[in-house]
Amino acid sequence: MKVAMIGWEYPPFKAGGLGTHCYGLTRSLADKKVHLDFYMPKTKTTASTDKPFLRIKEVGEATVFPYDRPTDKEIEGDFFNSVYRYNDLVASKVKGNYDVIHCHDWLTMKAGIQLKEKFNVPLVLSIHSTEYDRSGMLSPNQWFIDIEKEGMQKADRLIAVSNYTKQLVVDKYGIDPNKIDVVHNAVYPLGSGKKQDIVLFLGRLTIQKGPEFFLDAAKKVLDYGLKTKFVLAGSGDMLPRLINKAVDLGISKDVIFTGRLTEEEVNHIYRIANVYVMPSVSEPFGITALEAISAGTPTIVSKTTGAAEAITNCLQVDFWDVDEMANKIISLLNYNVLHKTISKEGKREIDLFTWDRVADRTLDVYREVI
Amino acid sequence: MRLNRFSVFNIGKTKSPYHYFDNTLNHKIFDKVARKCYLPANNVLLDLIDQYDGKFKISFSLTGTFVEYCQKFMPEVIDSFQHLVDTGSVSLIEETYFHSLSSLYDDLDEFKDQVMMHKHLMKDLFNYSPKVFRNTEAIYDNRIAKTVSDMGYQGIITEGAKKILDWRSPNYVYKPINADLRVLLRHYSLSDDIGFRFSAQGWPGFPLTAEKYAQWIAQDQGDIINLFMDYETFGEHQWVETGIFDFLRHLPEKILSYDHLDFVTVNQAVDRFKPKDTIDVPWAISWADEDRDVSTWLGNEMQHACFRELQELGPALKKKNDPKLVDAWRKLQTSDHLYYISTKGFEDGNVHQYFSHYDNPYDGFINYMNILQDFKQSVSDENMLKN
Repeated sequence: MKVAMIGWEYPPFKAGGLGTHCYGLTRSLADKKVHLDFYMPKTKTTASTDKPFLRIKEVGEATVFPYDRPTDKEIEGDFFNSVYRYNDLVASKVKGNYDVIHCHDWLTMKAGIQLKEKFNVPLVLSIHSTEYDRSGMLSPNQWFIDIEKEGMQKADRLIAVSNYTKQLVVDKYGIDPNKIDVVHNAVYPLGSGKKQDIVLFLGRLTIQKGPEFFLDAAKKVLDYGLKTKFVLAGSGDMLPRLINKAVDLGISKDVIFTGRLTEEEVNHIYRIANVYVMPSVSEPFGITALEAISAGTPTIVSKTTGAAEAITNCLQVDFWDVDEMANKIISLLNYNVLHKTISKEGKREIDLFTWDRVADRTLDVYREVI
Repeated sequence: MRLNRFSVFNIGKTKSPYHYFDNTLNHKIFDKVARKCYLPANNVLLDLIDQYDGKFKISFSLTGTFVEYCQKFMPEVIDSFQHLVDTGSVSLIEETYFHSLSSLYDDLDEFKDQVMMHKHLMKDLFNYSPKVFRNTEAIYDNRIAKTVSDMGYQGIITEGAKKILDWRSPNYVYKPINADLRVLLRHYSLSDDIGFRFSAQGWPGFPLTAEKYAQWIAQDQGDIINLFMDYETFGEHQWVETGIFDFLRHLPEKILSYDHLDFVTVNQAVDRFKPKDTIDVPWAISWADEDRDVSTWLGNEMQHACFRELQELGPALKKKNDPKLVDAWRKLQTSDHLYYISTKGFEDGNVHQYFSHYDNPYDGFINYMNILQDFKQSVSDENMLKN
């Protein structure tokens, strides 16, 4: 089987779960002797592979990234144009006899549709996030929605990273549920380290990820009298607002903003964190929850995430319910036996989340359309 | 028994320990089950006793908590049980007043207190003195057997578990290795045919008719077949639509059509049959889950931590002589609270989730442990006031 996969990020360069997913998926597919060409933009660091069945093809340079959002009218035109330009470029560079075209999220959907029509091969589309998730359900941008909708309609099959996302795609985009398969994400386990007094938030500091709820919960935990640091690892447009908020709440000496961390730093902080919190407003999956749990860190996720449906051994809260979030953070810090049990059981459960399983399920989807 | 949501922020702020209990939900559940099960099932049994001139017999084990719910929410359920007891074809079984694990405490004084409370309740309400004892969830070991025997009971009910019987049959009366007591062993496969499998369409025995079931019983060897099940089997676990009540209505006729079969109450059973052999149970068994041990309530460290907290509160509490606090402590001993914290594997875990109102065992732990911390504070606070 020969597959052309079109993505946007690939380690060492990556900004989010999409890159992590593409890395794990392509390597496991290659192990299963699927011939895979992975098309992606040129980046500062060259992506490479040691798998004979996997080729990475860098085509042209892109000036936008899947998590970018146009902020004002003026760059909107440029932003949209560069997206169209890049899609046209990719479509012209993909050559060869493929059995399947596989795209990820909105950024390459246009190229995927062009290729499907040009070569008359089936198109599989993975949905890692939608405009509704990224906007935190607040004033989503119609331009993205239109692109996503067209791609979803024209694709032969969709892979959603959770039932949560499948439902959203059905409800908001009107897609036939029978066309959508759910494949939960996976993780390369990190292994645990010596825990320190750190409650961790890790992710882009955007409205989608709910960092302000994390700060509200932090305030309650600190007022309760617990001695711990609250670390927000990541960068994003909400950073200035969040710094001000921490000051206003009077907790700035116990809150640390690290900015964007390197992969090594990320792995380290997962290992030493005592509790991980993922308070996303809307999260298709949330691979970070798997990463934290694989590092033996008890994890609290919001109920509006794919992780909540996929993982048994985690705590769950409504993202807006900061009292309950604080209750659970305090319980994890005060009740050793809870911390120990959930850490142990979580690590055991995480062994089920392998990229090998993701590749198998993805292969099933390819076979359905070929 | 359900608890209210109780966060760490409530600890130390509760005015009365009765706020721990979700009375609205408990009332609602009781009401539903009473209408679906207790009242209609009691009526069927009363009719059957009448119809077969007392030849149909039955034994009931009612906790004090159950009786309190009846009195508070629907007193006619108690009337209905009184009618049943008045027929003379019904035995009442002793147990701990609260559905507790007090038989597993290091010190058995609390266990004995709860048994005595139940004894008084049976006397007051039904003018009845039980002779046979059944522990919470049929939990049984040598120590419990000895204690129950020393308290003057003649018999005890537990699970006919393979691990204590090995090749032997549960269809005989046994004797504990260390006490003079008759042990009645539940025939779990025949009991569960009704309790669990009655409406299971994939089961080879489906559909289960009274005739078929009577035939199975008639073919089984031994002195006695002990059928014990949740009363909620009739109308709640198995809904009326499954035909469970019709099954019950026809069962006595089909059983009595065999010359060698009749019904006995637990009291008659311990009078009629001599022990065939002894059983030795150093580690507690029960009738719960596939494991037939106490791991359902004490299978993980979170459960052990709560159990320990609860047990350790006892001595300080009893010294204070505050009946309201002691009552709350005992209600907190209800095994349900630990059951919700079970993290046991797939198949059993599913059953646990079915009965639980928490998202997962961890939430169950947090809620229960928060309540125990608050309770602990209220016990020690008052100590300080008095000193």
